[in-house]
Amino acid sequence: MGQGSDTRLALARDKQAPSPRVVAVSPDDGSAIDLKNPAIAAVLAWAVPGLGHLYQGRVFKGRLFMGAILGTFLAGMWLGGGKVVYASWKPGDTRWAFVCQAGAGLVALPAIVQSLQIRGVSKQPLFGSTFMAPPLTAGQYVSRGYADRLAASDPDIDAEDFFDRPPLKQFRGEQVSHWHRRLGRWFDIGTLYTMLAGMLNVLVIYDAWAGPLGTPTDADRKARTTPQPKT
Amino acid sequence: MIPLLSTIPVFPVLVAALVDSVPGIFFGLPLVALASLVFAATHHEDPAEIRFATVHWAVWLGGILGLVLAAVLLLGWFA
Repeated sequence: MGQGSDTRLALARDKQAPSPRVVAVSPDDGSAIDLKNPAIAAVLAWAVPGLGHLYQGRVFKGRLFMGAILGTFLAGMWLGGGKVVYASWKPGDTRWAFVCQAGAGLVALPAIVQSLQIRGVSKQPLFGSTFMAPPLTAGQYVSRGYADRLAASDPDIDAEDFFDRPPLKQFRGEQVSHWHRRLGRWFDIGTLYTMLAGMLNVLVIYDAWAGPLGTPTDADRKARTTPQPKT
Repeated sequence: MIPLLSTIPVFPVLVAALVDSVPGIFFGLPLVALASLVFAATHHEDPAEIRFATVHWAVWLGGILGLVLAAVLLLGWFA
């Protein structure tokens, strides 16, 4: 047996050995929690709230987070008339709320796509849909098709709200003002719901990454280590 | 009880202010519940412990926010 065969044997042993697991300790009963690959779990937890926990086999918490976070986010969307989640980085119209909303994961991602699309060459959101599209500002150029669609579908906008600038059209109002006038305080309530859902998902991501935040108290440890009298 | 309380000028003003902000309070309660649930679930692993801690957090958050709301209403009234 030479040195080469020893190395091959060692490599074979390494392959057969189970891969190291990252575990956390449950603060409730001290049991080990298999976090699997924490980085993958964290990414999954951001993408879809609760999915990281489902990947780790923590089914109860996964379902709980999925229902609570996504439910709150969608409730906020509904309360805000579907207008409260959008991305806008224009000076004077920066939507800082979206930074928090983006924490809810892929469900907020269409807002980024719509923002890039309406600023891009096409000058209209994806498929001309108003879903998560940023509000038009004064002087903003949009495609003729999108302008016509807004004039036909949006009760606050008509054809006179656009200057004709072939081959485009130029908006001459502030769409976000229309939204505020129509929705009133529901715009703020919907924004708050979606923001809080995104912010709380950051805690969920951390829980998937590193396990529960709670630590057992000395009284808990003592109660668990003290043998209980038989009844 | 009601006539006695209505003779105190602060009480009707407080009730009016509270009623005026009912949508905010009503729609804020689910957010307190959500925050309590997520705080509890990120601190525990056992479902029974999560349920108990949710109530614990809800009492704390509700109490603190309720006190803040009452203080804001009172300050608004005195201002």
